Amino acid sequence: MSCHVVLERAASQPLKLRARPLRVALVGQPNVGKSVVFGRLTGRYVTVSNYPGTTVAVSKGRALVGAEVCDVIDTPGVNTLEGSVSEDERITRDVVAGEQAEVIVQVADARNVRRALMLTSQLAAFGKPMVLALNMIDEAFARGIAVDAPALAAALHVPVVEMVAVEGRGLSELRDALACAARPDVPAHPHATARAVWAHELTERVRRVSTLSLAYVQEALARATRRPVTGLPILAAVLYALYLFVGVFGAQTLVKILEDGVFGRGINPAATWLADRFVPVPLVRDFFVGQYGLVTMGLTYAIAIVLPVVATFFLMFGFLEDSGYIPRLAIFCDRIFRVMGLNGKAVLPMVLGLGCDTMATMTTRILGTPKERLIAILLLALGIPCSAQLATIMGILGGISFAALGTLFAVVLGQMFLVGWLAARVLKGDRSEFILELPPIRWPRVGNLLTKTRLRVWWYLGEAVPLFLIGTVLLFVLDRAGALERIAAAGRPIVTGLLGLPPATAQILVMGFLRRDYGAAGLFQLAHDGQLSGVQAVVALTVMTLFVPCVANFLMMVRERGLKTGLAIIGVITPVAVFTGGALNYVLHYLGVQF
Amino acid sequence: MVPLSSVAEGGHGVIVDVRATDDGRADRLLALGVTPGARFVVLQTFPGIVFLCDQTELAVERSVADSVFVRVTTTAE
Repeated sequence: MSCHVVLERAASQPLKLRARPLRVALVGQPNVGKSVVFGRLTGRYVTVSNYPGTTVAVSKGRALVGAEVCDVIDTPGVNTLEGSVSEDERITRDVVAGEQAEVIVQVADARNVRRALMLTSQLAAFGKPMVLALNMIDEAFARGIAVDAPALAAALHVPVVEMVAVEGRGLSELRDALACAARPDVPAHPHATARAVWAHELTERVRRVSTLSLAYVQEALARATRRPVTGLPILAAVLYALYLFVGVFGAQTLVKILEDGVFGRGINPAATWLADRFVPVPLVRDFFVGQYGLVTMGLTYAIAIVLPVVATFFLMFGFLEDSGYIPRLAIFCDRIFRVMGLNGKAVLPMVLGLGCDTMATMTTRILGTPKERLIAILLLALGIPCSAQLATIMGILGGISFAALGTLFAVVLGQMFLVGWLAARVLKGDRSEFILELPPIRWPRVGNLLTKTRLRVWWYLGEAVPLFLIGTVLLFVLDRAGALERIAAAGRPIVTGLLGLPPATAQILVMGFLRRDYGAAGLFQLAHDGQLSGVQAVVALTVMTLFVPCVANFLMMVRERGLKTGLAIIGVITPVAVFTGGALNYVLHYLGVQF
Repeated sequence: MVPLSSVAEGGHGVIVDVRATDDGRADRLLALGVTPGARFVVLQTFPGIVFLCDQTELAVERSVADSVFVRVTTTAE
């Protein structure tokens, strides 16, 4: 549809010299490339993810369209704008309805015009001028799908632009089309089924599909990941690869380079030397470079020990996400999760929790009902060890025996099932039904993957490093005030009695509360020095894994569910952790097990 | 017209109706493209029901598939 034809129509609004920039809103389903279009228009990149709900924050930017500057706002991907709406859908609806959107650009997946039109019909109801951008036409072409864009534009009375956003194709056409944006000519539909019928009929008119099958290899792979017979070995292989990449390369190789090399030989001695020279006051000197020094402990742990593990984890997780594996894992785990009052979707936060529980707690938003979100947060805090902790578990127990590792995982998993099952019964409410869209299996784009990982690592550094430093300061203060000794002493009877652990463990557990991986690393030191027997290592690490989450996780819980709930969760977890440890200690001794 | 949950793996046909429910499940299915007239292929029935609906691949639990009614054009060999 050419520009001047549209301009003749009474309903259209041509761009004119304005007092303030034109406000353009990008709307569309998840995974249509909306964020890529946004990035190309504004020159600023936004995280691109296969999972709805991962980009909840709304992004804004400026775009140059001809001689005009426009304000572009990107909205979270949505499948519908009415009915039982999620937070994403509510945010998008508010943006589209309000004054932040003068022109709406709907970005659609060219392979799925029918679904796009369902959204177009809803957007039309807002009465604003629109442009329809059919993205990923290259992938549509590969599937044998051809869309007659001019016919579609004529039917809707809206400019339709074909694009391959990741390659930058179609962007100038999009910019031109903004000038011709027009109010769509779509009949009002009383309900969703009528809309579906309209969308279907229009699609049949403008779309031709020559084949209805996916590429053979992708289809075979997709099939293999979903079925138990092939899926379990694939999962085992993925977990092993995860262990190799994160547990060995990240936790051992990289950590060694950073801890011993960069910090051990470089930064820490330099800092100590500087402090000895320039800081006369011993208290202040110790504050920075002493036993609980800000630099020697806090910074070292944050950057040398935790960062490499977390970064490798996020890289691998991003790969699994973008390849389409994680949603298929969800199908696999659906039945198991239902026992715990969740459904397969919970696999995303649970697996993410292996990287960082704090971030995973935030991700529980994608789950359907409040009850599921609560159970997921509880189980994350209870059972899922974050990557730094996992690394220490593998490091200590892996060096002892496979049986030791197996015992810990069996106990922790068993506890998660039990607590989840109980919580599902005790808590009021329902769980949501399992409906999940499976994106195609594909080799992830390296650029996307790196950006996504970088953003996640950045987020983590911004959250973690300050907390490490605060934790270190707290430890320093407690140590100087003698309070650390006193708290540890109070807990010692339980630690040495019920749990059968060396007295030093009490202090480590206290530290572990301030930062989970602190505690883990402290244990590692004990094991290193030969002060921990096999059984003691298993008991200590089991308690630590089950134990209260770190401070950052607690704060995130409070933010998501409120203070009362956060405290209640701690109130449930602490006794569970201690008594499980005690029971495990008793059972292992009774059986005379020695790892 | 039969429920989607009764179609064997490999069976394909056309979606006829999505039963309305009060929890918004029907709306959600419609928004995902499970609409009257859409062609489907059942890819898997165990452990979960996975089907291709037009260009979208979906996984649902059995109770959800019970509420989607279809006309099967051919069954699997």
